[in-house]
Amino acid sequence: MDFDLMVEVTPLLIRAAWVTIDISSRAIFFGFFVACGLVFLQTLRFAPIRWFARGYVSIVRGTPYFVQLLLVFYGGPSIGLRLDPVTCGVVVGAFNIGAYMSEAIRGSIESVDNGQTEAARSLGFGRAQTMFYIVLPQAASLMIRSVGVLAIVLIKNSSLVSIISVVELTYQAQRLIGSTYKPLEIFTLSALMYIVIIYAVMGIIELAYRRATRYTTQ
Amino acid sequence: MSTEQQTATPMVEVRNVHKRFGNLEVLKGINLTVDRGKIISIIGPSGSGKSTLLRSVNNLEVIDDGVILLDGVQVNRPDMKGMAFERHINHIRQNMGMVFQHFNLFPHMSTIDNVTLAPRKLKGMDKKAARELGMEQLERVGLAEKADVFPNWLSGGQKQRVAIARALAMKPKVMLFDEATSALDPELVEEVNQVMRSLADEHMTMLIVTHEMSFARDVSDWALFMDGGVVVEESAPDKLFSNPDQERTRNFLQKHLENNK
Amino acid sequence: MEFDFSAVITYFPTLLKGVGVAALVALAVALMSVLGGLVVAVISIYTNKVVSAPLRFFIWLFMTTPLLLQLYFLYFGLGEWILIPAVVVGILGLGFHYMAYNADIFITTIKSVSGGQYEASRSLGFGHWRTILYIIVPQAFIRSIPQLGNNMILMVKDTSVLSAIGVAELVYASQYAISVSFRPFEFFIVIAAMYYVINIVMELGQAWLERQTSYRH
Ligand SMILES: Nc1ncnc2c1ncn2[C@@H]1O[C@H](COP(=O)(O)OP(=O)(O)O)[C@@H](O)[C@H]1O
Ligand SMILES: [Mg+2]
Repeated sequence: MDFDLMVEVTPLLIRAAWVTIDISSRAIFFGFFVACGLVFLQTLRFAPIRWFARGYVSIVRGTPYFVQLLLVFYGGPSIGLRLDPVTCGVVVGAFNIGAYMSEAIRGSIESVDNGQTEAARSLGFGRAQTMFYIVLPQAASLMIRSVGVLAIVLIKNSSLVSIISVVELTYQAQRLIGSTYKPLEIFTLSALMYIVIIYAVMGIIELAYRRATRYTTQ
Repeated sequence: MSTEQQTATPMVEVRNVHKRFGNLEVLKGINLTVDRGKIISIIGPSGSGKSTLLRSVNNLEVIDDGVILLDGVQVNRPDMKGMAFERHINHIRQNMGMVFQHFNLFPHMSTIDNVTLAPRKLKGMDKKAARELGMEQLERVGLAEKADVFPNWLSGGQKQRVAIARALAMKPKVMLFDEATSALDPELVEEVNQVMRSLADEHMTMLIVTHEMSFARDVSDWALFMDGGVVVEESAPDKLFSNPDQERTRNFLQKHLENNK
Repeated sequence: MEFDFSAVITYFPTLLKGVGVAALVALAVALMSVLGGLVVAVISIYTNKVVSAPLRFFIWLFMTTPLLLQLYFLYFGLGEWILIPAVVVGILGLGFHYMAYNADIFITTIKSVSGGQYEASRSLGFGHWRTILYIIVPQAFIRSIPQLGNNMILMVKDTSVLSAIGVAELVYASQYAISVSFRPFEFFIVIAAMYYVINIVMELGQAWLERQTSYRH
């Protein structure tokens, strides 16, 4: 292993890792709102809107993230959608993870025991109040874990935006491998950075989960 | 309104109630009256429609036909739709306390918060007053010292007592119990029965579905035997439990006795 | 905005060829990752630490880093020593990636079957490895089918990523056509639609397979 080289390229890779973190965190943040929107649309009475939301989720889940990215980036301009690479990465990431997240959110809401809703309704709470005070706080703990898994998948998928020349971690790694011909060194460093990012996210998820489930362990 | 008239209006009235699940008719024309301060017990084999009846009174099940009245006000309102009905039923439900077989306490809230959530959010009570009220109710069920504990740390019997306190905190006109002790270990049944007895002493109006025959006999003013979605027989509890008129009632009690030997 | 799918129609045979390449790659990867994953799982459970620790490390490494990074590493790493076609690198890269994911599944199911079945089988007189191969592995395999199915559905979508290292699957195959027709939107819509159809067919297949095997649990 060429340690001098590794020391030399570390700053470059760290800067690229920040881009990965930046794109991913923004995609996850906006993706959450996309997901909430999709969940909300699926509760509406008007059936065509529900079909639209379900169809959207099905199509996003049924097609490769990579193709979605290329479609929006290269195909977008022909429908008047011109995005710079970073924005494109965030937008496609958000709309992609949003679809998966909406399923996770729906699943965790549905897994809250129906008895909870009945108890709240029998006290005189309305639908929205029951959702807000009783169902969502309990669904949150489940949601945290499943959304966390999706966040980690998204961070790994963010490597694909290198294809539309966003200088994130994988892009930088590939460029450095090409220019230094030291694949092992570069791979080791960049892999390490992904691992650090992913473990940090896992730690945050675990903390949030413990906070949300304090009542079961006290 | 004179006192006499008031006592004349039953607290709960069920008139010719029908309920179907798909093709299955679960309630086939039920009639029932619970007078103010009275306690009525409903017994019957599993699947006879007892829970459905109780849930219908609370509108957790929507009946297909008939009328249900709470203190003279119609509960089911087939003429009302959407938000108007929502407002109506939420208001009605604030006057009824329901106790479930599986407690359904809110696990993410402390015991006291379970009890005070509804008074705070639905009656706009401030925190301090709500806590006072909540402690009062917890004392009533003998669990004041568990106020700041989460439900997962309580025994089944304690959970059910908290659930009763939660319902009582809304100062309901009637309490509905759906097999409140069926999910409990035998040694925990008595503490819940004790609480229900104390409510009886305070003349709380109660409608109780139960498998505890001796408890029902002790505590109630009137008893019903249901089977196959109809009230087969009703009478004073002493008569129903020791000397019923109907063959089906006798058989049921006989079987029940054998099973609980 | 006007859509014009005539270029897509002209180049449809090219797209179909891309589908063919993707299908062959997916088939090879499926074989490699399922069989390889099973072998890796068995070895990492039933041998000593010296053998199993590195295997578990690689499973973990493949699962915590992005596929594309692994592909680049393999592409340039192997390229340093020997000249091999991109499609082979693609199969190996995707194969190792999903081998790790499948091994992870097998490890869980083998352990869950192993519990009572191992003793029962040994008491019938089967040897150690015979018990593993004839009794435990087949049951674990059947139990793994739903999750393996999920992985393979994900894997087929990931074949699109191989275009990044020059494997002539759908996306790569359409690049030339896109560059001469200036119709990226139309092409990528059609490509997405093709993947969507394949995905639905695979999901139906998975549901069917699960029905066929569920009675054995
Ligand atoms: N939500 C429902 N959907 C369909 N059938 C139901 C539902 N709830 C209850 N039933 C049926 O109605 C009948 C009466 O049930 P229930 O009122 O729970 O009886 P009980 O409380 O006397 O045991 C049973 O046959 C039961 O299967
Ligand atoms: Mg019942």
